[in-house]
Amino acid sequence: MAENGCANPVWPCAMTGAVATLAGFPDLCVIIHGSSGCYYYPRSLLKVPLFSTYLLESEIVFGTIDRLHEVVTSVAATGKPIAVVNSCVPALTGEDLKTALSGETAIFVDAPGFCGNAEEGAEKVFSTVNPVVDASAAGVNIDGVNLLDLFWRGNLHETERLLNLLGIPVAVRFCRDSWERLGRGAAPVTVSVNPSYASNVGECLGSVLFPDIPKTVDRLCAAFPDADADAVLTEWQKAEEQMYYVCDKYLRKYTPPVVAVAAQEGYAVCAKRMMEQYFGSDVPVVFARNRTAAEIPYSINSVEINAAVREAEPDLILGSTFEAAACRKAAFFGITPPDRSRVSVAARPFAGVEGGLMLIEGVLNALMNRQKGT
Amino acid sequence: MPDNIYEARMAGCTLGGALSVACFIPGAVAVVHAPQGCVHQTFSMLHAMANESEVWTVPEILVSDIGDREVIFGGEERLSAVLDVAAEKNPDLILVVTSCVPETIGDDCGAVCARHPYADRIVYVPTSGFLGGSAKDGENAVLAALAVRAPVCDPVPGTVALVGEKNLESEADQNYAEVERLLARLGLRICVRFCRNCTYATLMQLGTAACFVLRDERAADAGKVIAERFGRPVIPEFPRGLSGCLAFLRAVGTACGVSEEKIEAAVSAESAYQDAMLAKFSPLSGTTVFLGAEPFAGTLAVAREAAARLGMREDATGTEIRLPFYLPVGTAGVEKMLYLWRRSVRYG
Repeated sequence: MAENGCANPVWPCAMTGAVATLAGFPDLCVIIHGSSGCYYYPRSLLKVPLFSTYLLESEIVFGTIDRLHEVVTSVAATGKPIAVVNSCVPALTGEDLKTALSGETAIFVDAPGFCGNAEEGAEKVFSTVNPVVDASAAGVNIDGVNLLDLFWRGNLHETERLLNLLGIPVAVRFCRDSWERLGRGAAPVTVSVNPSYASNVGECLGSVLFPDIPKTVDRLCAAFPDADADAVLTEWQKAEEQMYYVCDKYLRKYTPPVVAVAAQEGYAVCAKRMMEQYFGSDVPVVFARNRTAAEIPYSINSVEINAAVREAEPDLILGSTFEAAACRKAAFFGITPPDRSRVSVAARPFAGVEGGLMLIEGVLNALMNRQKGT
Repeated sequence: MPDNIYEARMAGCTLGGALSVACFIPGAVAVVHAPQGCVHQTFSMLHAMANESEVWTVPEILVSDIGDREVIFGGEERLSAVLDVAAEKNPDLILVVTSCVPETIGDDCGAVCARHPYADRIVYVPTSGFLGGSAKDGENAVLAALAVRAPVCDPVPGTVALVGEKNLESEADQNYAEVERLLARLGLRICVRFCRNCTYATLMQLGTAACFVLRDERAADAGKVIAERFGRPVIPEFPRGLSGCLAFLRAVGTACGVSEEKIEAAVSAESAYQDAMLAKFSPLSGTTVFLGAEPFAGTLAVAREAAARLGMREDATGTEIRLPFYLPVGTAGVEKMLYLWRRSVRYG
């Protein structure tokens, strides 16, 4: 981040990321140790039950431990396991909250908003929970599922389908599984639907984002010699043929779209590669939402991103509606939250074979609607 | 501990409230001394609202982006740097608000603002996130901080200033239009919307208003500051319900020195207007409805009055009507509520 701040930040804080990660375990009660101001945003974003200590200023002055105990005790009556996510101020006041909770059946994740973005919050969860890997556990873990992702449900369904085709059982879904299942131990190998939310649990054999599928399937087959690679690879090849067919048809009428991309690095790089591969596009603008991005520049500064988008005069924007606002005449397809261009309730994937097809289909429809002026 | 601890716990954070005012001043820049995530929440909300209203420009909010390093070594340099960025835009005003983090780490934000070269155009409002109170407190703090900068001057007869419109409510402009319509019956005009889409220069004309109308009791604290500074009447809320409209006309008319004759003419015209509006819903007469729980204080009284005027009966066995979770403003607000009732009575 630039030393002189940020304008209109487009990405949630670490606390929100931690809560979203833990909320992927529906049998776990997640308590935000913070004020109602900190609670409302993740609650409205995730639309899942969350608890909070709803801290008051007086509790900051005199200590928050009693209040935390009060809420933890009350939530413990549900009989469910509990995770407490710490927020900025109680993280700064020096109270030993972790020790204070040691007698309780609650895990304590110190993920104050100032320590980073959503991805750092997810990382804090994984480093705190430190999921056990059981060398004898069958199957493969699915990684990168996060409730903040527009495509988390679709990604999960699609990856389960692909693994089923391969004949490989699913072990733990990070993070959309039961806490009880997690406690039994994860498998030693993992595939990811969104590498920007990496749990680092087990050996990651690669992503199931469309361009990565053949290599990931190869590695899966090395780890699971009985896996049926052909079932997936045949489908992948057929999907690619379809993509070339529909893109060629578009390119007979129109020039390749100039594209601006902004998303978490995994999705952004995937989208860029697919636009280059199937449309022959130029992609002059690519920004990553996650700080750890290695291949593309990081920015969550909406003013900076949108200035670059405007300057590129793109035909197509792949990002969030924050970026879509930069250039209203460009076609837009949402690949990162928020996507306020559409009502979206179905489980659409971004990963997998169907995810690749979904992207190409969405892009073509957006481009053609733009050509028609609708 | 506050009197109503439950309300205090659920009351949100000053930052969201402060920004819901500060972001609606064209030509001004809002600077927030906070981690970026705090501002993302507000920006995201403004973006959602803009998309709903098909307005594609969202105000720019600069955030100092306090991180791990600043919580250890202090964030004053960050604030100063982001003020430099804001000043480069040569705005009419820089509104600086703070989250709970600088308050906790002890940053002297007031001193940073005071020694900045742009200090004369910086308004520092130490909101301090939830440590400074609720979202409502944040709204009032910014309204009051701006009000005390407006010069005291002679009132311009026939003018009214609106104070504390809820910028994030989706029907804010419809409510404004309704109040404007009612005021026109008295020959009054709105000179300042304090603060909704008015430039700093316009806001500084607050003192020219003959009377001030608050959006509702949420802006009461700012209303007290304004009443004290300008010594003129403050009407506590937008008109609610049918009889509330008539009472509003009388109160504003009296406050602005409108003649008794003109006030009564306005009341009479509005009564006739309400009768004509209610006539559209005459098929509801004789129907039995169940109004259920009150989702927003004051809504039930407004609803019961409308039901009584229409000759509707209230009973637990009647068609269940869901009351709005906002307070219907003016005759237009009641009309919209009745359209929803009619749908429920007709179609369940």
